[in-house]
Amino acid sequence: MKPETEAWRQLEEHAAAQLRPGFAGRVLQAARTAQPTFLASLTVSAATAAVVLLAVVVAHQRATRAATDRNLADWRQLGHEARLSSQTP
Amino acid sequence: MEKSPPVPLAELIREAQQGDARAQHALIVSYQRRIAGFIYAITGRSDSVEDLAQLVFIKMIRGLGGLHDVAQFEPWLFRLARNTCIDELRKLKLRRIFLPFAEEHAEVPEPPGAVDSEELDALRHALQQLPAKDRALLALAQEGRSQVEMAEAAGVSVMAVKARLHRAREKLRHHYRTHET
Repeated sequence: MKPETEAWRQLEEHAAAQLRPGFAGRVLQAARTAQPTFLASLTVSAATAAVVLLAVVVAHQRATRAATDRNLADWRQLGHEARLSSQTP
Repeated sequence: MEKSPPVPLAELIREAQQGDARAQHALIVSYQRRIAGFIYAITGRSDSVEDLAQLVFIKMIRGLGGLHDVAQFEPWLFRLARNTCIDELRKLKLRRIFLPFAEEHAEVPEPPGAVDSEELDALRHALQQLPAKDRALLALAQEGRSQVEMAEAAGVSVMAVKARLHRAREKLRHHYRTHET
């Protein structure tokens, strides 16, 4: 028998002693509670993706609208200046 | 009263797969000792044995339905335990990067009396000198897993397992003897 063999046996014994009585019962109880189903996980993922997509779309629309407003204002200003310059002799 | 004969393992697994709580309980009881030893060999921490063992068995209960070949139960369970331990050690490592001041607490040796014999102390010390993946390999070998199963668990070739296991055994023996003398 190798000298470590006895040590491995003791290691297992020491580790097993760390499990409090009723370990198996506690595991089963924990396994039953808060067990997310595949459908639940899928729903949460889909909802998260939808919220993120919506946020991106809203942010993009706002940015586009702001840029359009800026551009229109610039063009209006340009048109006004062009009109003024054409009226002056 | 006559004692009923023990249910064969394969039957127990099948019943557990069908959600039989008694079979699941019996399965946990029959493996908890080995799994605890396996976890302790890899992590080296007595205080995390119960939590990790619980995590492993919860994964076992939840994943049993997906196990098609009952004969593969043991390799599957130990692979599950190995991966759970490696993940936990990885998380600890990451935590140490982001919370460096917690490092000293993570490195605190087990309190005196937690380890009660010289042989065990020497083995524990020797194991801690090896990388976690080598400890996992040695623990799998100790559990009688074949090199093919170890290769599958570690995600490497059988040749690589052979070489790594040989090196790990040499190192373990060296550190074990150094600590003993």
